[in-house]
Amino acid sequence: MTVLDMRDVRKVYRSGDAEVVALDHATLAVDHGEIVALLGPSGSGKTTLLSIAGGLLAPTEGSVVVDGEDITGHDARRLTAFRREHVGFVFQSVNLVPFLTAEENLLVVDELGGGKGGRAARERARALLDELGLAARGSNMPSQLSGGERQRVAIGRALFNNPGLVLFDEPTSALDTQLGEQVMELIRREMKARDTAAVIVTHDTRMTHYADRVVRIVDGRLTADPVPA
Amino acid sequence: MFLAWHEMRRSKLRFGLLTGAVGLLVFLILFQQALLGGLITQFIGAVRNQSADVLVFNDQARKNIEGSIILPEQAAAVAAVEGVAVASPLGESTFTVQADGSETDAVVFGYVLGGPGAPTTLSAGRLPTADGEAVASEKDEADGFGIGDTVTVLGPGGTLDLTVVGVARDLNYSVSPTMFTSFDTFAAAKRVRNGLAEGTAVLPSVLAVQVADGADAEAVVERIAAAVGGVEPLTRQQAVDGSPGVSSVRTSFGVILGLFYLVVPLVTGLFFLIVTFQKASALTLLRAIGARARTLVVALLVQVVLVMALGSLVAFGLYAGALQGVKNLGVRVEVMPVVVTSLVVLALALVTSLVAVRRVLRIDPLDATTGAGVHL
Amino acid sequence: MSLKLPLRELRRRPTRFLVATVVLAFLSTLLLFLGGLLDGLYLGSTGAIRAQDADVIVYSSTARDSFLRSRITADVRSEVDAVDGVDAVGGLGFVLLGADVPGEADPADVAIAGYELAPKGVPEVSSLYDGQGVADRRLEDQGVGVGDTLLIGPAKTEVTVVGWVEDTAYLQQGTIWVNLATWRQVQNANRPDAAVADDVVQALVVRGSGDLAAAIDTATGGATSTLTVEEAVLALPGVEQQNSTFNQIIYSTLVVVLAVVGLFFSLLTLERLGLYGVLKAVGASSGRLFAGVVLQAVVVTIVAFVAGSALAMAAAAALPSGVPLQLEPSRFVFTFTALLVASVLGSAISLRKVLHVDPAAAIGTSS
Repeated sequence: MTVLDMRDVRKVYRSGDAEVVALDHATLAVDHGEIVALLGPSGSGKTTLLSIAGGLLAPTEGSVVVDGEDITGHDARRLTAFRREHVGFVFQSVNLVPFLTAEENLLVVDELGGGKGGRAARERARALLDELGLAARGSNMPSQLSGGERQRVAIGRALFNNPGLVLFDEPTSALDTQLGEQVMELIRREMKARDTAAVIVTHDTRMTHYADRVVRIVDGRLTADPVPA
Repeated sequence: MFLAWHEMRRSKLRFGLLTGAVGLLVFLILFQQALLGGLITQFIGAVRNQSADVLVFNDQARKNIEGSIILPEQAAAVAAVEGVAVASPLGESTFTVQADGSETDAVVFGYVLGGPGAPTTLSAGRLPTADGEAVASEKDEADGFGIGDTVTVLGPGGTLDLTVVGVARDLNYSVSPTMFTSFDTFAAAKRVRNGLAEGTAVLPSVLAVQVADGADAEAVVERIAAAVGGVEPLTRQQAVDGSPGVSSVRTSFGVILGLFYLVVPLVTGLFFLIVTFQKASALTLLRAIGARARTLVVALLVQVVLVMALGSLVAFGLYAGALQGVKNLGVRVEVMPVVVTSLVVLALALVTSLVAVRRVLRIDPLDATTGAGVHL
Repeated sequence: MSLKLPLRELRRRPTRFLVATVVLAFLSTLLLFLGGLLDGLYLGSTGAIRAQDADVIVYSSTARDSFLRSRITADVRSEVDAVDGVDAVGGLGFVLLGADVPGEADPADVAIAGYELAPKGVPEVSSLYDGQGVADRRLEDQGVGVGDTLLIGPAKTEVTVVGWVEDTAYLQQGTIWVNLATWRQVQNANRPDAAVADDVVQALVVRGSGDLAAAIDTATGGATSTLTVEEAVLALPGVEQQNSTFNQIIYSTLVVVLAVVGLFFSLLTLERLGLYGVLKAVGASSGRLFAGVVLQAVVVTIVAFVAGSALAMAAAAALPSGVPLQLEPSRFVFTFTALLVASVLGSAISLRKVLHVDPAAAIGTSS
């Protein structure tokens, strides 16, 4: 079943009189449990595609359906709630709230959703950290964690609300090759175990073999056939 | 300069807020200093700006000229003390007078013409040379106390005319229009007010003492205190500082001004420290591409000076405006206190900015390559 | 809506808020100090008039609203008595003098006030014999005790203190309330040049209804100038000017508070833009983030106010008693409220920045 369904999405930026087409008739569908690597040079439009898929940006044309919810016409308020409930994000490096412990960084998601940070939420956070190999690090501050550990905490946060779709923005760019591979392995394991769809933006071809499918983007156009057979 | 100026232009809100805060704070300092000076002058200007080196009070008077009286034998004893060149009577009292057609309260001082106790801040006209003439406080010039005006003392014993022949600056006493006249005229005024018979003796309030050439006023004060019973001799400055009200006004304003002086450099220091932290990555980059640490420090200090200078200008504008509102306090816009205050707060602000300077000096250009300086 | 995040930041990173708190604490102290001085000057100058249990006060028209200059004769008084709406009329007189206190080296500053209609808190005048008075509590600081016989003025007129009253000072001097006969005795012995006849008082306090002031001044044919009690308070020397000057300083200081809070939190917000981007991306709304900024400003203000109050009270205790500083609970309430308003308004400067944080910026940025 399809989790992310983007059809004919266009995104045009205007700067003065000039129009810049960041995304040109992009169509992409990702199924449950499927991991898609989005590969492209900088300025290719991959950031735009990720932002639109995650409800951070509204497309100029086309439709976006996530987890069965058509978010094409959503206003900012509904997009905020949508992101909170249906999408997980892992960013490059600014990821964690610096004055919160690892466990509290996971609970932020619960708090933002109006949760009370109750026992169930805390237990879920602990279980997730345990799964991610961070059982002993729950009460550490981000500054006390290594780069790999920080990304793992971020993955935990992204998974906290059981989203149907997790979006990764260069999750390994700040890590060395060995750590990067560990993190990618972890991502793959967690996505498969939960049957969660993932789109991973990267420019590191060494990481692409962790994906089920590779989609290339150049000048706003998806070049590989994005629809699986 | 280039760096400093461009950053300020780009961050108008931030620097604008800081300049505004500094301007208001400096204004409040200036305003309150002026108010304090004005109040004290209004209360006690006449004592400060008369010529006696030492004033001898009755020791029951608690340094209050209103409640003091000197007996003839005390006066004689003071005159005999070594180092006293002249000791002449000085009278002070409040009268209801008619000036410019309306009744008002006025303070009259009576001194022996040519002797100690004469006004020292004559700004127009001349000192009295005959009975019935007076020098008036300049502040009340327009209210019937100008040169050539006649001020009439009213009382059950009739009236007494005083002719203003000169005006002097900062000559008020007890926040009232004030006149200095001959002691005999003062005595006559008192008889009119109290309905006393012609020729009834009037005692001086205090003695105005001129010390002998080369004698030290404080030493003379000590000798008078030791030699004469029932009196409290004070130097002119002691008499001003000890006046009822003056010291408590000074203490209150002292605390307030002290706090204001503390807040200005704290606000500035804090601001520049935070700003420096925020642009640490930019500074690291600048160091990496070859900016000397000195250049960056100079840019920072230039900003401090610019902010303080602009703030002081704002303060001066507000100050000049506000003083229009309290003109009746006799406060004048003077440039010197503004300059001094601005320099003092500038110096304090530069001191607290040293914390930010230290941060700039600690920046390692190498961090630009590892990115360590980029994250805060 | 949960606001744990901003509170946690305050708790976990107190040092980053420290200097702002210190600055605001000093500003709180300043505001309390200025206010306390204003209150002290105001209350100490006006107590005897504010205490009047009356509707209007009648001066002679030549007095320029000063008790010292005012004289009301028996004739004028009977004209006032006859005015429609006048229920009760009482004489009033003040004289400011020094007084020898038994056992004290320094004389005390007192105001001898003669009355007929009892002001609030002052016993009925019929309970006082000639030569007796009830004293304002502030004279206790100058060594006065109940049962003491004070020697008033150069003439050493005897007045015996038989009880205390509160908050009735007059022009910074402790008032001793006596009957009119005793007041005249003190006045005439010590101020022979301003002696008053047996049926003369300085002013009249009047209880009644209707437009008393106009009715009385008309009935006396312009011989009187009648003020409401509130107007009489403001007519005291220096009171109105003091109020406006101090309030001007106080409100300017509040503007400084606003600027300081605005400055500090806009800097803090600027520092957090990246974090705000991430939080918005994972589902935090602008409103929630901004509420966090406001909440922090409020907490910092509360902490600063508590510290500033403690400092102000310590400073007040350390000052010599001659300083007319009086810290009233109402002043604390006013200062606290004003600080809160200023800090909320000041933090609102950051609103635009928070609103403009683009959650999409969280993607594709490496720092």
